Amino acid sequence: MVAPTDEAPTDDQAYLIGVMAEIDEEVRSRRASGDLPARVERELDELFLEHSPVAGQGGGLGEALRMVDAAAFIDPVVPIDSAKSGGAVVKKGLRTLSLWYMGYVTHQVSQFATAVSRSLHLLDERVEALQSQLEAQEVPPAHVVEAPGAHHPDAWWVPDALAALQAAPGRVLHTAAGDGWLVRVLAAKGVDAYGVDPRPRTVDRAELDGTDLREEGVLEHLRAVEPSALGGVVLTGVVDPMTNGERRQLLDLLVDRLAPDGTLVVHSLSPAGWDADDAPPEADLASGRPLRARAWTNFLPMLGFTVTVHEGPKGADYLAVAVLREATPAR
Amino acid sequence: MTCPGGPPGPPRAVHQFVPALIPRDATGSHTLLLREALRAAGWRSEIFAEATHDELLNESNKVARYGDYARPGDVLVYQFSTSSMVADLLMERPEPLVIDYHNITRPELYEPWEPATARRSAEALEQLARLAPRAALGLADSAFNEADLVAAGCPATAVVPVLVDLDRLGAPADRRTAARLAAAKADGGADWLFVGRLVPSKGQHQLVKALWAYRQLYDPAARLHLVGSTPSNRYLGALRAFVDDLGLREAVRMPGEVSEAALAAYFDAADVYVSMSVHEGFGVPLLEAMGAGVPVVALRTGAVPGTVGDAGLVLDRTEPSYVAAAARRVVSDDTLRRRLTAAGQRRVAEHTLARAGARAVEAVSAVAGEPPGRAGSGAARGGGAVR
Repeated sequence: MVAPTDEAPTDDQAYLIGVMAEIDEEVRSRRASGDLPARVERELDELFLEHSPVAGQGGGLGEALRMVDAAAFIDPVVPIDSAKSGGAVVKKGLRTLSLWYMGYVTHQVSQFATAVSRSLHLLDERVEALQSQLEAQEVPPAHVVEAPGAHHPDAWWVPDALAALQAAPGRVLHTAAGDGWLVRVLAAKGVDAYGVDPRPRTVDRAELDGTDLREEGVLEHLRAVEPSALGGVVLTGVVDPMTNGERRQLLDLLVDRLAPDGTLVVHSLSPAGWDADDAPPEADLASGRPLRARAWTNFLPMLGFTVTVHEGPKGADYLAVAVLREATPAR
Repeated sequence: MTCPGGPPGPPRAVHQFVPALIPRDATGSHTLLLREALRAAGWRSEIFAEATHDELLNESNKVARYGDYARPGDVLVYQFSTSSMVADLLMERPEPLVIDYHNITRPELYEPWEPATARRSAEALEQLARLAPRAALGLADSAFNEADLVAAGCPATAVVPVLVDLDRLGAPADRRTAARLAAAKADGGADWLFVGRLVPSKGQHQLVKALWAYRQLYDPAARLHLVGSTPSNRYLGALRAFVDDLGLREAVRMPGEVSEAALAAYFDAADVYVSMSVHEGFGVPLLEAMGAGVPVVALRTGAVPGTVGDAGLVLDRTEPSYVAAAARRVVSDDTLRRRLTAAGQRRVAEHTLARAGARAVEAVSAVAGEPPGRAGSGAARGGGAVR
């Protein structure tokens, strides 16, 4: 395959592009048939991580200390097995002759290693104490808070979102995608879309029909995406409960990951909708509160977006559609 | 361009320096072949290595002995692929220096598995940053590698193909290996092949996952051959345990480093060459696969798209089902196989040893002056453009 260029593809390139599209379709249909769900592929990843070193699998300080403890004792009595005849006798002789010397050296090295290990255990205890104190003040991760009755194909804002994303210059990401309902609507319109959602059960349901969904939070996912790789991003239910720090990170990432002329679609509860009796209970636990529509029209142009806002029919929610014209770093 | 070289005049020497001269290693083979090209062009040329494999002891001199060989007008070529005291030595030498850069695997790719190797890799990057501004010319075997040289401050650079003797794979295959592979193939199942060191950045674990998916979805008898030496015992252990967990002990073969005749047998038996390496400065085995008529499926990373071109399926993702589907398509679609192998042959034709050697000589002549063997000969010139 050939890297994308502005030039028209040659016959060979066009042929390979067609083959790659068919392979994509093959994978989708295999997943749809349940032959190899994405969940199983994730389990493969996790299985390999079990064999990875501590630093690779995030095994934590406790696991590292266990390894240090295991390695702290140095045995001066070296093995004497040998495949060669008489080798074991020779080795045993050498070991006997040198044991007084090796024993003296290894005793000191073992003492040093034990002292280091003990120091690390003391540090571990202090870190654990600090950790438990911090946990009491920890800000929980942002929940997904969705406007009631507004997350299905017939919701009032969906036609406006589809119109905005129809000509997206690349893949469209939906987060939080739930069971993939919007991804399927976009795909039916010919838009190359996929979704992420931090809620595992919804993703598992979506896998049954082969929708490209991943179990990830929006920030975590965007950090792993290449710059200018996305043609559009739809944010539903994820911005409202975020802290301002998280929102700033999100905007930084969006400006970087969206392609020129990429489209950002934000469906949000209004502050009135957030306070209404039928607001989801997660709203009470969230760290943040929804922005007013005018906040988007005020801030997004500073980052290079042109913004249009559509108010919901009952004033409980709104839709902001923004197109990235000239990226400016978020402040 | 004309670089500041030594005085013009009688045959001068273009000597090469290399941290380790190892047989069947891309850098080692390139160094030996370049020496032949330099000598054929009329320059005197020796190899000075910090360490030399037993098989090649007659091919190199100790780095410390260069002082005995040094003559005014020498040009030094450093085959740069890892950290070495050679870089420190060359920093102190007054001769014009050409860096022939083969890429440095990024430290972060080693860090979790081999911290010591990661440190060496970081040292290599530091050495490149110190040495590059002092070089008269930097040679790279891909635009991807050239970007590293430019970023390190190399004042002039050129892309020159790596020297690979693909004819050696046309030699008779090792009979025992070929017989063993043929016996396995007689029981059915496709043969996947990957050639490269067993290190995390080469992504052999991704290949194991993909083979597992392939066997689940398409071909329960398929096999994977991971040919290459093992500098990371920790990774090898993890890979073996992973293979056992998946019940693939009989399907995933890790023969280690093999002879060229045995390697030819592996290429002969392969139905598809699959690479999930996440860091490739060029990817010589990709070219070898094309030369052997084996279609390629490879992850889009580093210099891979440039090396593979239209001669393989270049994937954007490593998901096992996706890799498996691509490999299946290559194995089962005769039209695709024909087109890929034909495109591979065309790419190989662009990388003949004679052509690559001529381009390397032409590039070096920008520093060393006209090759003595060419003076007045009107030899064809196809050198990489020096930037």
